[in-house]
Amino acid sequence: MTTAVPDEAGLAELVGTEFPGGEFTFEQWWVRLVNDCALADPADEAGSPVFVFLAATSAMGVSWEQLWSWFGARESDGPMAGEIHTVQHRSLRVGGTYAVRGRIESARRKRGARTGVFDLVGYRLDLHETSGELAATCTSSIIFPRRSR
Amino acid sequence: MNALRPGDVLPEYRVGPISAEKMKTMSALMRDANPIHFDVAAVRGLGLGDRVINQGPLNQAYVVNLLSRWAGGAHRVRELRLRHLGAVHAGDRLRAHGTVTEVSEQDGERLAHCEVGLDVLGGDPVLSGTATVHIGR
Repeated sequence: MTTAVPDEAGLAELVGTEFPGGEFTFEQWWVRLVNDCALADPADEAGSPVFVFLAATSAMGVSWEQLWSWFGARESDGPMAGEIHTVQHRSLRVGGTYAVRGRIESARRKRGARTGVFDLVGYRLDLHETSGELAATCTSSIIFPRRSR
Repeated sequence: MNALRPGDVLPEYRVGPISAEKMKTMSALMRDANPIHFDVAAVRGLGLGDRVINQGPLNQAYVVNLLSRWAGGAHRVRELRLRHLGAVHAGDRLRAHGTVTEVSEQDGERLAHCEVGLDVLGGDPVLSGTATVHIGR
């Protein structure tokens, strides 16, 4: 993947790029500590939609820096979270292992009155049971400021 | 929950002061190297204030806590759509809130559709969005 900032045509070409993907297992100790940090009821175990995002992004197969580099950006450029949309078809289980697959769904250059030029990138990550059934989906957006453009 | 109707307000969930120590632990759990969550000097260097900044998933979790306490478990939250509007800093006090907008039935399950949000007390909104919650059969 290039490290140069893509032009609008280049952005469009990145739509459909698939994540390498991977697997994520909800270990008891990890779930317990995340719930502690989140001030959640320990009885919620891995039932919170927040675990969908955490598992999906942990096993998407690239680091955040690598994902930024697809769009010619670095952490120091200040990429920001936009929206996050999570759907749980079935509750995630402590001890369960899930396959993560996903792709870039959208990428558009926009101009805001306050923010100036920025790129809005949408990506979808799915968690599948070992049986192959879809357990949960997380569709998120990232905002890449393009101040120099 | 049987008498639930649009316009009903969920019991507020207040949280804070937000802990910098929990952010440190969360950075390790997420393998998130971004220093704005654990290094005040990095936050100052970026001109983002004098306090470390909470992780987005923790902010989202406070909204889930609101829904979980109301509906009887986080697993009842079937769908959650949230837009990030602002940052939470260590020491902030927050208010998660929600209002029922519709009650529907799908595959024999009753679902409540809600508008939800998270605000800094005395400050700006942090998250705004919608949730669909399973409330019974």
